[in-house]
Amino acid sequence: MTVPEEDSATETAAIATTRLVQRFGAVTALDGVDLAVPHGTVLCLLGHNGAGKSTLVDILTTLARPTSGAARVAGFDVVAEAHRVRRSIGVAGQFAALDDQMTPRATLVLLTRLHGFGRRAAHARADELLELFGLGEFTERPLRACSGGTRRRLDLAAALTGRPEVVVLDEPTAGLDPVSRLTLWEVVRGLARDGAAVLLTTQDLTEADRLADVVAVLRRGRLVASGTPDELKARVGSRAVTVRPADAVRAEQALRADGIRPSFDPARGTLSVAAASSRQVTAVLRALDAAGIDPGELSLSQPGLDEVYLALATGHDTVRGAA
Amino acid sequence: MTAVAERAVERRDPARGDGARIATQTGVLTVHAVRTMLSEHRLLLITLIEPLPMLLVFGQALSGLAHVPGFPRGVPYIDYLVPALMVTTALQSGLQSATRLTDNLAGGLMSRLRTMPLWLGSVLVAQSATGLVRGLFRLVTLVGLAWLGFGFQCRGGLVGLLLAAAVSMAVAWALGWVFMALACWFRHGDTLQAAAGLAMFPLMFASNAFLPVASLPPWLHAVAEVNPLTHGVTAVRALTLGGSALPAVAATFALALLVTAVAAPLAVRRVRRTD
Repeated sequence: MTVPEEDSATETAAIATTRLVQRFGAVTALDGVDLAVPHGTVLCLLGHNGAGKSTLVDILTTLARPTSGAARVAGFDVVAEAHRVRRSIGVAGQFAALDDQMTPRATLVLLTRLHGFGRRAAHARADELLELFGLGEFTERPLRACSGGTRRRLDLAAALTGRPEVVVLDEPTAGLDPVSRLTLWEVVRGLARDGAAVLLTTQDLTEADRLADVVAVLRRGRLVASGTPDELKARVGSRAVTVRPADAVRAEQALRADGIRPSFDPARGTLSVAAASSRQVTAVLRALDAAGIDPGELSLSQPGLDEVYLALATGHDTVRGAA
Repeated sequence: MTAVAERAVERRDPARGDGARIATQTGVLTVHAVRTMLSEHRLLLITLIEPLPMLLVFGQALSGLAHVPGFPRGVPYIDYLVPALMVTTALQSGLQSATRLTDNLAGGLMSRLRTMPLWLGSVLVAQSATGLVRGLFRLVTLVGLAWLGFGFQCRGGLVGLLLAAAVSMAVAWALGWVFMALACWFRHGDTLQAAAGLAMFPLMFASNAFLPVASLPPWLHAVAEVNPLTHGVTAVRALTLGGSALPAVAATFALALLVTAVAAPLAVRRVRRTD
């Protein structure tokens, strides 16, 4: 989905990169990245520190020029048409890009004015954003007296001052409290619903799972996987059925007698069996029933995105069909 | 909340969000920079009283210089000194603009401005304009203190004094651009300060600021003759002491314009770089 197969898809995408390469001396930070994010989509970019996430963000936001390859944002080339790209984007970086002396309100008014809004429109927009991010109580306090979480929220509000159609957020929820994080998620979903494309880097797998239409995993400058969270989970592992019978040893023997090979967790007293299809679930239950054993607790588990991440981002080749 | 979120990206109105006109950008950023300057009370106070020790030390220590060869007859040393301090004070203001600029370039707001549809030269113009406002404050304090506390008399009258202030500001403006160009190249406040210190000392003392060039040793005399500060001081002094000032004033304005025309584009070209 994110690997462009047709040129037309690349051209209409809100963010599109083709064989994007960035080298710093001998270090290759990005090694041929092809990415396409359509309008109305949230793409979560996962990867270790140093995987190339911030380098990609810098190129997409015109802060850095790629060594080779091309990137288009909102239909404009990030090098040749950088000014047009800047009209279309809203950016929040890892470090709050704000002036400590200013109040949150003054900051938003200033930025909105610079985006070309008139004085009254700028004040209205600032108030709207303060309200949206729950910053109402901090409007007149200089930023240096505000908490880290408040700064981050203001930084995100600042990213939206120009009504961007492409929003790039570099680890936006790092250091946010759970309530602010939920607010941010809601805002991001709202942006996508309204047609904006959002590229968001994160280390937080819950966040990716909750927010992303598409997850892309970057490892050492290469895109090693992309797809919906469910697609990626399906690639990493199968479901498992887990039971907790009163006598785990006897239950294990019963299962083995039926040709089923469970794995035993002595700490929890549970037996788990890989269950790619529901037929295997039934087989486990039938074997236990035949031996007259009560399965006790029964649960069916999906592989989590954290397993996907561990498998893909670290490069342990436990992944079936990994790119 | 969701309704607001949806409005956050309502379809783009072409008249909005595409970046303000350059004049508006510059205006908005200048108002911001001036406000920031005025809000830093302690720094502002120090800036304002800075001319006082100069008046005290130079006025007292060097007053004997009124007898060296080439010193204009019948002129008290304070009347000779104040025009020079007007120029050097303006010069300090220019340097201060550049120091603020290095802070800004390293600061967070600047990295946001880089991703916005702006002409970044407007950041420099705003800083430069703020430097002029600060310079004006300092000139007012300097002349006020000199007049009230040290018996300074402006023989050129109010018009001469205002023109003298204008010439000082022109020098501050031009050298401010030089220092800002350096700031855009060096990026670090410390490096800038060191480089400025290196330049400032000869600029101030290998000139006619504190004593007539005629009294200097020949080689220093030669340096002082080509020192741009000498032209500025000559012009300001002619205006306050009352005399034929036009050639020196014209030369100073021309020189200031020339220096700005070279330094400003260099600064603007460099400001977007992040390395």
